Amino acid sequence: MNLFAAVGRVVRAMPLLTVGAWVGILLGGYIWPLVPGLVLQRYFDSLPGPGRLGTPWAWLAMYAGVGLGFLAIRVVAVPLEPVLGLDTAQLLRTNILAAVLRRPGAAALTHPPGETIGRMRADSEHFGMLPAWLVDPFAQAASLTFALAILARTNWLVTIEVVVPMVVALVAVNGARRWTISFRRSAMETTSAVSGFIAESYGAITAVKGAGAEGNLAEHFRELNDARRLAGVRDTLWTEGLTALSGGSVLLGTGAMLLLVGPQIRSGRFTVGDLALFTSYLALLSTVGSYFASLMMVTRQARVSLDRLGELVPREPRYGLVQPAALFLRGDRPRPTEIHRAPQDRLERLDLRKLTCLHPSGRGVESVSFSILRGDLVVVTGRVGSGKTTLLRGVLGLLQAGSGAVAWNGVDVPDLTAFMVPPRCSYVPQVPHLFGDTLRDNILLGVRATEEAVERAVKTAVLAAEVGHLDQHLETLVGRRGVRLSGGQVQRTAVARALIRDPELLVLDDVSSALDVETEAILWQRLMDEAERTCIAVSSRRPTLARASTVVVLKAGSVDFVGTLADALEHSEVMRSVWTDAPAAG
Amino acid sequence: MILSAIELSPELRGQRGPTMGTLVRRYLRPHITGLTMLGAFLLATTLLRLVAPLIIRSFIDLARGGADGGTLTRTAVLYLLAVVAAQVIAVADAVVASGIAWRATNRLRNDLFLHCLRLDLPFHHSNSPGVMVERIDGDVETLQNLFSHFVVRLAGNVLLLLGVLTVMLAVDWRLGIYTILFTVVVLLVLRAVRNISVSPWGRQRETSAEMVGYLEEALTSTEDIRANGAEIHAIRSFQGRSREMRSATVRALLGVGLIAGLTTAMFQPGIAGALGVATILLEHHQLTLGTVFLVFNYALLLTQPLEELGRQLQDLQSAGAGATRVAELLATRSTLPEAPAADRLGEGGPLALVFDRVTFAYGDGEPALRHITFELPAGESLGVIGRTGSGKTTLARLALRLYDPSVGAVVVGGRDVRTIPTAELRARVALVPQEVQLLHATVRNNITLFDHSITDERVRQALEDLNIGRVGNRGEGGLNEVLAAGGVDLSGGEAQLLALARAFLLNPGLVVLDEASSRVDPATEQALEGAMDRLLAGRTAVVIAHRLSTLQRVDRILVLEEGRVVEVGRRAELAADPGSHLARLLRGDLSEALL
Repeated sequence: MNLFAAVGRVVRAMPLLTVGAWVGILLGGYIWPLVPGLVLQRYFDSLPGPGRLGTPWAWLAMYAGVGLGFLAIRVVAVPLEPVLGLDTAQLLRTNILAAVLRRPGAAALTHPPGETIGRMRADSEHFGMLPAWLVDPFAQAASLTFALAILARTNWLVTIEVVVPMVVALVAVNGARRWTISFRRSAMETTSAVSGFIAESYGAITAVKGAGAEGNLAEHFRELNDARRLAGVRDTLWTEGLTALSGGSVLLGTGAMLLLVGPQIRSGRFTVGDLALFTSYLALLSTVGSYFASLMMVTRQARVSLDRLGELVPREPRYGLVQPAALFLRGDRPRPTEIHRAPQDRLERLDLRKLTCLHPSGRGVESVSFSILRGDLVVVTGRVGSGKTTLLRGVLGLLQAGSGAVAWNGVDVPDLTAFMVPPRCSYVPQVPHLFGDTLRDNILLGVRATEEAVERAVKTAVLAAEVGHLDQHLETLVGRRGVRLSGGQVQRTAVARALIRDPELLVLDDVSSALDVETEAILWQRLMDEAERTCIAVSSRRPTLARASTVVVLKAGSVDFVGTLADALEHSEVMRSVWTDAPAAG
Repeated sequence: MILSAIELSPELRGQRGPTMGTLVRRYLRPHITGLTMLGAFLLATTLLRLVAPLIIRSFIDLARGGADGGTLTRTAVLYLLAVVAAQVIAVADAVVASGIAWRATNRLRNDLFLHCLRLDLPFHHSNSPGVMVERIDGDVETLQNLFSHFVVRLAGNVLLLLGVLTVMLAVDWRLGIYTILFTVVVLLVLRAVRNISVSPWGRQRETSAEMVGYLEEALTSTEDIRANGAEIHAIRSFQGRSREMRSATVRALLGVGLIAGLTTAMFQPGIAGALGVATILLEHHQLTLGTVFLVFNYALLLTQPLEELGRQLQDLQSAGAGATRVAELLATRSTLPEAPAADRLGEGGPLALVFDRVTFAYGDGEPALRHITFELPAGESLGVIGRTGSGKTTLARLALRLYDPSVGAVVVGGRDVRTIPTAELRARVALVPQEVQLLHATVRNNITLFDHSITDERVRQALEDLNIGRVGNRGEGGLNEVLAAGGVDLSGGEAQLLALARAFLLNPGLVVLDEASSRVDPATEQALEGAMDRLLAGRTAVVIAHRLSTLQRVDRILVLEEGRVVEVGRRAELAADPGSHLARLLRGDLSEALL
């Protein structure tokens, strides 16, 4: 991605705010500060002495007035800059989240969640600083030209002498960019390592507590922090060194000026007013010089950050990160969405044709074929690690299929990830995740549904009795990740969440894992009682297997057997071993 | 024996969090040397800044008085030296200050990290990992500047202020008095507006943590979101949180802008006033032109510490909001008070477990366990069965002291768990939790949880013993293979094998397996049985069972129903009693609802 093309898009996405921020920077940072120096020159030249010009009091009054003008700029325009930064960062975060959610769900993140959050947090902020800075090169050029013109008109020889060290310093700062980038990058990397580790550790809190590993983790955290400190101090040394170089060059110029102007002051060709003007403008040039160094720094940091953010969403369109998105910064929350159902969405049959789906590690399922007709229940079973979950993910496009095809009513689906969603499919993962909202919000997840539909889904999911016992019923807050609910309740909430979408094909991954046999039996009873319910499920429990119209037995990533349960028991060794130890009753 | 309500130890009772002052003192104390260095830099910088305008004054007066070129050159070189020295010191100052800031804030981060890991589960249930990132890293970051510069810069600014006022008084007492009055007015105004943006910053931090917290939830639930077509909903929920954060930030920024604007608006009239006084004195020939220039430079110099004081007040505000949240966090106590160090639980060997009339409720809810009483002698195993929601997991958590009972006592190895220091209890009691939690780290670190004292050899041996050596040979890296994000290429069953290995390595005297086999399919579980026997051999074990085969391995059975014990006893005896739940279950009369 070209950095400036990317920033350009941001600017076009929020033109008013950007222009406002620019005006604030231009006025407050560059134009206004030029005025006092000129007024001061006039003031000193109007003081009693040889060649006195006018009266000092008017100039003093004007000098005081300039300050009040500044108040207006500071209060109105200056806060726009951080707001622009904030909105830019938020634009990136929204686009990244949207892009992540477009990817196959089981492989949506290219980096661990902690690292991803770290980047979305800090790198977006760093990039967000850049749009406001776009005006600076122009403002710098304008104010430099203006200041130098005035200085040169006063005394061109002195002006040249002051400018030379400044140019040298700027060239040096620019030449050092390679190190600037690498120091910055390592500072950012060590920072996201720290925030990533915090998120991971607290995400695994029960395991950490259960093993009493708090101290070990803290020790590792300390090491990460130390690495971050070293990178941070090195970055500071570099940044401050460069700033001092550009600022110092101007101060050197001031000293050199004194060497030159001594005789001229004596002769009256260089007045004290001129001296005031030069000192004031040189301080200004020093500030502009440090702004220039900061601009370089901000640009490089933004480039590093943009790359790091781009890595989170590979294969996105080039400028996807910065495309305009509705930020909903004001107004009411958007309304719930409707699920649109087309006649061709009705499922008659689904065929897997030599479907292969592999993890990057090379594990997965290969060349799986079977068919499912409307009203069927297909149960996928097999040993641990045999690829059951991977198969479901492959069918649903939650992992990218390697080869083969899935055909919906006989037609190959070109993009499973986009197609296998409600109202065609919905899915209950093995470990469902809930959000820290109400139970109702967790079931709806933004879908519009009647009260009756919600109650029906809750009832079918065998959740109704427990919802009745909760103090706020469906409005109960479930805590982060649904911790206020038991494992089985989370699972059945996820079933209700899938059912409210009234899918043509319901896909369930091992709902037995947190349900007792009786609850599971009732669940299946209710699910399959609904007319023409079509279902693919992973299970190793007898009652579920017994209901299956087709059993798919997996062994080490490929199909061991496809057929009825009776045939599978006769022909498949794996099936027999699963069956033998499976719970018998129910 | 029943210790119904253990009193909080006196030092924990009524303890409040550290204030910002104590935080600063506690974390800066180790950096006295560095701070002294910063102080020296400061003194040098202050002197240089005071001297430079004086040099210029003599330069002007010398030049206008017709001094020779040599004198003028010497004066100019003197000035040059002063400004170069000031630049060099500025760099040294920044580097030393950032070193101190990093060390001090890192220590605070480390302390917070460990402190929060040790807090109880209710705390973690209401604070998502994303929120913890903001609270441990984000909030401490706002203190960075406070630690690096605040104290020293504050002293420096006061010093510079006093220096300017002294020189002004020395130049002319009328100028001195004017300058003092001006300084007082500015300081009073700054004090008046100081509180404008305190609470907005607190709100800003809070909303920012909310936003990151939601992001974390969404990023760990991509599969759920996609498969339910809830992308738009997730994005909008995120944006809702962003919007709150934005409006809080804008409010806080407006306060900052107002304070900054006010100070600069005061300065230029103030400088004009000083020049006005100087003009009158000049007209009466009480001052030289060079001195008027000095007055201007000093008035300008005066604005720097005043402005910085204003900025520091703002930093102090955002740092204050951060410090309040940090202090709050440090003051959060686990509801499980730490026991004082006591006799050891005994080296090795199995530990008996007793529940003595235990009743427990989460928060103010209905009790999840009622009057649970049982005894599990050392070395025996107990299978716990019951329907979903009957309290099995709660029972396991109490045995591990992840919660304390509301009434009654849990006794491990003959001692109430509340009297056993947590570290000791954890070293002797292992839990294989219901939900396997994996870190983005190597296989080895996932098993040892970063305990570097455990050799690779021991890890391998443990995996071999569990007959899951292949876990240590996944991919090319072996034990050093880094598990992918969210353990995506690890099946649910394999993840649980790792969790088993974790517990096995601890060599505990009491093992609590909470539905450990729920996601290991029957065939694999069969292969694991030998290793399970090894894990349980010579240990006391509580197994929350899901399968009949598991029940065959345990010595005793406990049947839970809605938080009450409906049956407890030796398996053999219960099995022999035709009326027992267990016998009916084994006969197949009862549905396996109990498992």
